[in-house]
Formats: sequence, C-alpha cells, structure tokens
Amino acid sequence: MTTLAATSPAAARSAASAPRVVNVLRLHLTNKWTTLGTPLLILAFIFLVNYVIWLLIYTSTPGGDREAVQGTQYSGSIAYVFIYMAIIGIQVVLRTFPFALGFSVTRRDFAFGSALLFGVLSVIYAAILTIMSYIEQATDGWGVGGHMFSTVWYGTGSLPERFSQEFFGLLLFFFVGAAVSTVYLRWRALGQMLLWGIIVLIGLAAVTLITLTNNWSAVGQWFVDAGSYGVVLWTLPITAIAALFGFRVLRRATPVS
Amino acid sequence: MSVIEITNLTKRYGNVLAVNDVSLSLEPDKIHGLLGRNGAGKTTLMQLLTGQDFASYGTISVFGAAPVENAHVLRQLCFIKESQKYPEDFRVKHVFRNAPLFFENWHAAFADQLIGEFRLPLNRRIKKLSRGQLSSLGVIVGLASRAPLTFFDEPYLGLDAVARQLFYDRLLEDFAEHPRTVILSTHLIDEVQNLLEHVVVIDQGRILVDSDAEELRGSATTIAGTARAVDEFTAGRTVISRQGLGSLAQATVSRLSAEDRAAAAAAGLDISPVSLQQLVVSLSGAAESASQADNAAQAARGSRGERTLQAERTVQAERTSQKGQDR
Repeated sequence: MTTLAATSPAAARSAASAPRVVNVLRLHLTNKWTTLGTPLLILAFIFLVNYVIWLLIYTSTPGGDREAVQGTQYSGSIAYVFIYMAIIGIQVVLRTFPFALGFSVTRRDFAFGSALLFGVLSVIYAAILTIMSYIEQATDGWGVGGHMFSTVWYGTGSLPERFSQEFFGLLLFFFVGAAVSTVYLRWRALGQMLLWGIIVLIGLAAVTLITLTNNWSAVGQWFVDAGSYGVVLWTLPITAIAALFGFRVLRRATPVS
Repeated sequence: MSVIEITNLTKRYGNVLAVNDVSLSLEPDKIHGLLGRNGAGKTTLMQLLTGQDFASYGTISVFGAAPVENAHVLRQLCFIKESQKYPEDFRVKHVFRNAPLFFENWHAAFADQLIGEFRLPLNRRIKKLSRGQLSSLGVIVGLASRAPLTFFDEPYLGLDAVARQLFYDRLLEDFAEHPRTVILSTHLIDEVQNLLEHVVVIDQGRILVDSDAEELRGSATTIAGTARAVDEFTAGRTVISRQGLGSLAQATVSRLSAEDRAAAAAAGLDISPVSLQQLVVSLSGAAESASQADNAAQAARGSRGERTLQAERTVQAERTSQKGQDR
C-alpha cells in the first residue's frame, strides 16, 4: 500500500499544484468535441453547402461568368461561428460552474479560467478563419469565385487586421454569452426575464430617440466612417463591460438548486 | 483546535430559516454524523461550510478562516453533494480525469480499486447513470480525494445493500490509515451509528443534539413491560417517548443510574440500550410536538382542534415520504 502510495500521488500532486486557473482551463477542455470538434464540423458542412451553390451558379452562368458569384462577397456564412461561440460561453458557465464549485474551485478562479478559455478559443478560431481567408483569395474563391471567409466586411485587410478583427469579434460573443449565463445562475428565470426586458427597453429607447431627433442618417454615417474594422474596435469596450459585469455577478452566484 | 467553528450562523431563504442561529464546533480527525429529517437544513449547512452559499448572519471558520472564496481553505476540502451537477457532455471517466487537478491528495490507484468494486461504468454518460451509480461516483471521488475535510451529503441514495456496506468498510479502512475529518449527513441512522464518533442532530434549522456518539447512546434507555409497571417506574422521570400496546408498554427514559436499573429489573421490566435512530426520532418528535403545541397555543381560539393538528401531521409526513421517493 505504501509503495503504491509513493508513486502515483506524486504525479497527482504535481497536477493539483499547477495554478488553479490553468486547471479550470483544462477542465473546460475535457471534452474537446464540445468546444472544437462539433463547431468545426458544422463549419465544414456550411462550407460544403456554400461550395455546391457556388458551383451551381458558376456552371450555369454563360462562359463561367465570374460576375454572377460576386454577390457572395456579401456572405454572412461564418456568422454561425460567432453565434456558436456565444452558446459555448453560455454553456461553459451554466454547466461547469456548479461542477467546478463541487471540486472546491473558487468563483474567482473559475471566472479567470473561463476567461482564459475564451481567449484560447478565440485565438484558435481567429487563426483558422484568417488562414481560410488567405486560401480563399489565393484560389480565387476556391476556383469558382465564391466568398465565405473574405467578404466586404472582413478577411481582406492586412494579416494583423484580419486576425484581430476575428479575434475581437469572437471575444465579444464569448463574454456576452457568459454574462447572460451568470445572470441566470444568480437570479434564475426571473433574472433572465428582467435582463432581456431591460435590454429591449434600452434598445427601444435608443430607436425612439434616434427617430424623434431624425438622426438615422448620422447613425448610418457613423458606421460608414468607422468602417468594419472600426466597428469591431468598438466591440472592445462592450466586451470589457460584459466581462466585468459577468465577473461581478458570478462572485455572488451559488450552485444551489 | 477545531476544524470547524460556527457562531450564530443563520441562513434565510425568503421567509424560510434554513439554518437558525447555529453555533457548533467540530474536532479534527473524527467521523461526524449530521443527522436530521429531509429539509432539516443539513445540505444548507454543508453548502455554507464549503463556501458554496453565503451566510445571512453569523460567522464560519474552517481551518481557521472563512471558507467563502478562500482557495487555501477550499483546496483542503471535498464536498460530495447529493444533488451535484455535472457538465452536460461528461462521461464518468471525465470526472476521474479532472479529480487529480483539484484534489491534492488524490489517490488514483485507490480510485481504480473502488471503481472496480462499485462496478461503475467509466464510459457511460453521467446523465445516463442510475441514482445508485451517481451515488457511487460521489462516494469514490469523496474517498479517493483523501481531502483533510470531506463532506458526504446523503452519499448512498439508491445504493444497494452491498454497495452501502462497501462504502462503510472502505471509509473506515481508509480513515484508519489516513485520518481526516469526515462529515456524513444521513437519515439512515441505524446503518451508520457504529461509524460515527460524534453526532449532530439538526431539525428545522436548529441544533437538537451536539454530543459524543457513545455518550448520546448512554443518555437514554428503553424499558419495556406491563403498562402498570412502566408507568409506576417512569412516574417522576423524564420520559422521552412512550408507546403502549394493550396492557404492555415501552418507554424511553433519560440516563439511568445503577440503582435505577436494579429497581427496574426488580419491577420485572426489560432494559435495553436505545438505538441512535430511536433517540433521534424521539428527540425530533419531542421538538416537533413542542413547536406544534406552541402553534396550537397561539391559535387557541377554539378553531384548531386536536383533529386538525393530527391531519396536518399526516399530510406533512406524506409530503416528506413523497420527497424521498422523488429523489
């Protein structure tokens, strides 16, 4: 018994003595199908569907008229990736929080470990999307002039621009998803209804204000002036607010059923 | 030096006082029993002690510090909660892959041995586990983590008799080799009574008993015989409970001296030690009727007779047993 005990807990002790935040990240990545496998498979499927459509247009237009598929420059196909990341943000907090606390993790370590996960996943997905945008350009739209990863909105600037644009966008969706989830954890369904109620009211107030002051053209102009990269930069303060809000809410949340 | 020190702890959920002004101190390296009925406040108390929930009032000290958000305290403890939630996509093996990351004394070989003994399917999804298998999973994590302070909240719900015995055996063996503080909450008192060194009985959020197990067992005795003999003997004594059947009766009375015992024997009464379970039941019952008597006195405008009280009690009992089945 003692000889057995001498070897195996030594390995275990080294694992448990790693920073708690890193171990929370490892906990989140236990099942990589959820965070990486499934989303990438769906992305591949969407790409395939898109490709078939491009091919159909390409072959059915006279002389392989490239102009016909130019419309795909306005593609929003990878929006799915961003929505899915918000869902991962929601799930990570909702499902893993009670488990992590059951494994003697503090809320603080859980929050930082989750933020680390969001950072790591954003890097991975931003890298994949950026690489795909370069391949898309190099192959003239996969040989048929299709656009999915390089469109009028993203994936056409310099390398740092492309990467950071995707990266910041992904971070926004992760942290907003997670923040929504913390509200549910702390105040359950009632908190969720209140949150959405408040969001709808703020949106309504903004629309009313802009309409009454006849400022819609100014709003449109702002988006044009900012450009798609400028708009993405403006997500950073929103991401920061969502992260801070989620952290504050989580610090007083309980895994009590 | 005590492991846990609680002073005037109160937890309120809306109008419900789940824990009501509790003060308690628990010694290290012992197996403590936290006993009480469903809804008595056992789980709430443990959630407060493990920093999962926040106290409304009062102070908690675990290993000399407040447990809430205290990584230094929390990493020394393991809380096996009856209603523990697991990530949606987890299989049993995923739990064991993560346990060494969070429990410093995790013993993988011991876990493997227990997985075999409890016949736990490693590859099965957690949500497909039966109630008993879910309990086995908790028990194995609790034992193999060898945390200096381990909480087991109703650890054997749904476990068969063999598995329950296995749990008690392994707990005692491992406890002997690696002394630590264990807090075991249960309502299956008879099964664990030989395991426990210290007993805390909680009812409606209040501590009814906080005592050494041996001392508690000696604190009461059951006498049985003819109703007349029993009544004569118990006259002027503290009777904890009394049951009669025709001309026969049985009563639980507080501690008897040697002369008392001789007198009882001379009167033709049978003397037997009271089981922990009987003691807890009669103590809880006494507390209940005391509080009901209070209620009745308050509402004593003739509207609430003995019959409605009796009916209420039946409804309450039914609710409790239903709750047990739901789990």
